[in-house]
Amino acid sequence: MSEILQLRNISKTFPGVRALQNISFDLNEGEVHCLCGENGAGKSTLIKILSGAYQPDEGGEIIFDGANVVLNPRLAMKMGIQTIYQEHVIFETLNIVENIFTGSEIANRGILQKNEMRKQTVQALRYLKSDLSPDMKMSELSSGQQKIVEIAKGLIFKRRVIILDEPTASFSSVEIDNLLDIIQTVKESGLGIIYISHHLEEVFKVGDRVTVLRDGRKVSTYSLNGLTKTTLIKDMVGRDPSTFYRREKVPIGETVFEARNVTGNGAIDISFVLRRGEILGIGGMAGSGRSELMNVLFGSAPLDSGEILVHGKIIKRPSPRTCIKQRMCFITEDRQHTGLFLPQSIARNVTVANLVNTKRFVVREADDGRIGNKFVQLLNIRPSNARARVENLSGGNQQKVVLAKWFNTNGEIFIFDEPTWGIDVGAKQEIYKVMVNLLKEGKAIIMVSSDMPEIISMSDRVIIMKNGQKMAELTGEDISEENILTYSIGHREI
Amino acid sequence: MSEPEKRKSLFQRHENLRVLAIFIGFVAAIVLLQLITNGTNRFPTFISPVNLLNILQQVGVPGIVAVGMTMVMISGGIDLSVGMLASLVSIVTASGISKWNLGLWPSIMLGIMTAVLLESIMGYIISRTKVEPFIITLGGMITFQGIALLLCNSREVIMKGELNFLKTNLIQGAKDPFNHLNLIIPPYVLIFFLIALLGGLLLSYTKYGRRVYAVGTNPEAAYLAGINVQNMKLSVYIIMGFLVGIGAVMLLARVNTGIITLGQGLEIDAIAMVVIGGTALKGGKGNIVGTLIGIFFLGSIGNAMNMLRLPSEVQFVAKGLVVIIAVSAGDVSTRISGFIQRRKELRWRAEQRATKGESVESTK
Repeated sequence: MSEILQLRNISKTFPGVRALQNISFDLNEGEVHCLCGENGAGKSTLIKILSGAYQPDEGGEIIFDGANVVLNPRLAMKMGIQTIYQEHVIFETLNIVENIFTGSEIANRGILQKNEMRKQTVQALRYLKSDLSPDMKMSELSSGQQKIVEIAKGLIFKRRVIILDEPTASFSSVEIDNLLDIIQTVKESGLGIIYISHHLEEVFKVGDRVTVLRDGRKVSTYSLNGLTKTTLIKDMVGRDPSTFYRREKVPIGETVFEARNVTGNGAIDISFVLRRGEILGIGGMAGSGRSELMNVLFGSAPLDSGEILVHGKIIKRPSPRTCIKQRMCFITEDRQHTGLFLPQSIARNVTVANLVNTKRFVVREADDGRIGNKFVQLLNIRPSNARARVENLSGGNQQKVVLAKWFNTNGEIFIFDEPTWGIDVGAKQEIYKVMVNLLKEGKAIIMVSSDMPEIISMSDRVIIMKNGQKMAELTGEDISEENILTYSIGHREI
Repeated sequence: MSEPEKRKSLFQRHENLRVLAIFIGFVAAIVLLQLITNGTNRFPTFISPVNLLNILQQVGVPGIVAVGMTMVMISGGIDLSVGMLASLVSIVTASGISKWNLGLWPSIMLGIMTAVLLESIMGYIISRTKVEPFIITLGGMITFQGIALLLCNSREVIMKGELNFLKTNLIQGAKDPFNHLNLIIPPYVLIFFLIALLGGLLLSYTKYGRRVYAVGTNPEAAYLAGINVQNMKLSVYIIMGFLVGIGAVMLLARVNTGIITLGQGLEIDAIAMVVIGGTALKGGKGNIVGTLIGIFFLGSIGNAMNMLRLPSEVQFVAKGLVVIIAVSAGDVSTRISGFIQRRKELRWRAEQRATKGESVESTK
């Protein structure tokens, strides 16, 4: 087996963050090399370097077929490195053949050679033992089938390396088995495959070797023959203690919120209680149904069955409107798309959610300005001008505007979905402080987080979700990296 | 050391300034023209009370519709059907008065209610489905034209001047001090101002207005902030229907005949006025003050070109160019300020490097 690709001492620094540190990695022909690690371990950064989207820091080397290369996206493609991202770029209205060949059409003097392109597509699909018809539109395919098309594309253009980033995120279990079989087939044709997955079962089934990353460093590389899951999990956990936040504990009061057998929007039969003064963390891997559940709880996605209770009273037909009136707040994951009115001022953004509660029809600009300025000072928002437009603020300050919007509704049950996603360390600490202050005022918080140090250091209790189901509820000493990871990854039958 | 403050171009900081600047430039050009041609006496005076009042009469009806259009567009929609709807309303009202003998006020009410009902149907479809408002109202436009032609058997409906009270002169006997022509302010000009005032207050100072902006800026975030996005979208079309109804009755009063061509091009004029006024097609941005400037701007151009005795073909070209120039001016100024901003940042970074030196490592 000869080596296709080798990384030596690759580091990547972003302003203020060391995303990767001295990573070495290699890939052989006909091999599946898996990458494992928690969220934020550096897997995505590494892929982006391999696909040429990021340039590594000086000092590292990328060796492809024995030659030292500097990659850019075009060159990576030309040399035969294909990355299949979680969210793939497809042309939904075009068929399989057109999708594969768009941008690299086979043409003779400008006339498309449709038969030739179709023939190659059929060959590739047959090789992968797939029963897809080349004339099917991409929009008719499931996400599993779309992945197969991408892999077929890799075969047709004779790629050397295929990188699969969380390929099975929205797959049914049949589709997973099917994809793993296809990867075996492709591997035998001599390609090198880099496979990234949270699901250890998949790693064990399809992989030849595995490399574990943690906090931007490489921990270990193993051959998967004879390796145990426990060894892998041990390597994935064990973060630097300095990344943890010391949180003040607050006396816990009576129950304010309860979910009883909540089912809908992908969440299945979830029950829990939430009490004053506590943070209930919701852990699990991306795509485990956490945000989906939060939308059900806030009434912005349909509740198929089950009950949602605020102060012991059932909310009939929950909607964002009724939930806000019950003093619930929802700090969404994607603040730019679902939380903020970007072209508008801080003041307007802060006052908008409380419109539900205002009785008066006439609103005054001066009142808005006063409320805006109050929160600008309270939360230390920069620039300290309530008339500034939100689109010009940094991520951390934008998140504070979202918080202010909900504080202004005088809410008492807060749902935070990834509260510190994409914001810098300093702003993170400020947001943690704000959360603790909320608890001191007798409020209650549900916090979805993929940030391991965050969920461990902030939560009083943690619920772990997987495939839309509640896997475990952890308290006290049980809230550990190892437990969270074990339950998140779960032991799915294959 | 702090980063250089993000400066926006003057035009961006004050949205209406851009439009105002264009308007002032335009007036300056007119004044210049007037001075040059003063000796020959070929041109009547542009800036004279009689002519300014003339402009008001011309823009009154499209102005009323433009106020409604501003709300629709701020909420993220558009309405192409208003012209044909106005024709339909005029035919319904005229028929009510002179063919069906329903009496004056019932006929007017019937006309306005027709507009409200039809707009509500379109608004209902737009707010409950994901179909583009452009398509729905385009369909509405064609449908309304058909209904109108069916109602009047493709003929005009002539009245006996029952609506003349709407065009009586409110300042009978007042004369222009310069050229001693009669000054005219009909009631519908006042109604236009009243509607513009109410519309402006509604958008800027009420809970309702806030919600219109919120829905236009980010419907998803608005929904999660407890706003009933569907009903908000429906409501702007209902308001639009009411205003089109009123506007159509005014138009009918002016010509005394219900006819299919009455509202022709009204949607084009109204949309042009609104976009010149700085309202964004994608919603969430704009206000009535801007629209007012757009209304007077477009009205003045038509008027001035009439005075210069330019043929209507040329007027179309000129109006079209004005819309294009007015709307691109904002984008050009954004680009220029963005370019200046980038250069400033580059210089600032270079200075940083020079002072700190290359050896500084980021913490952690």
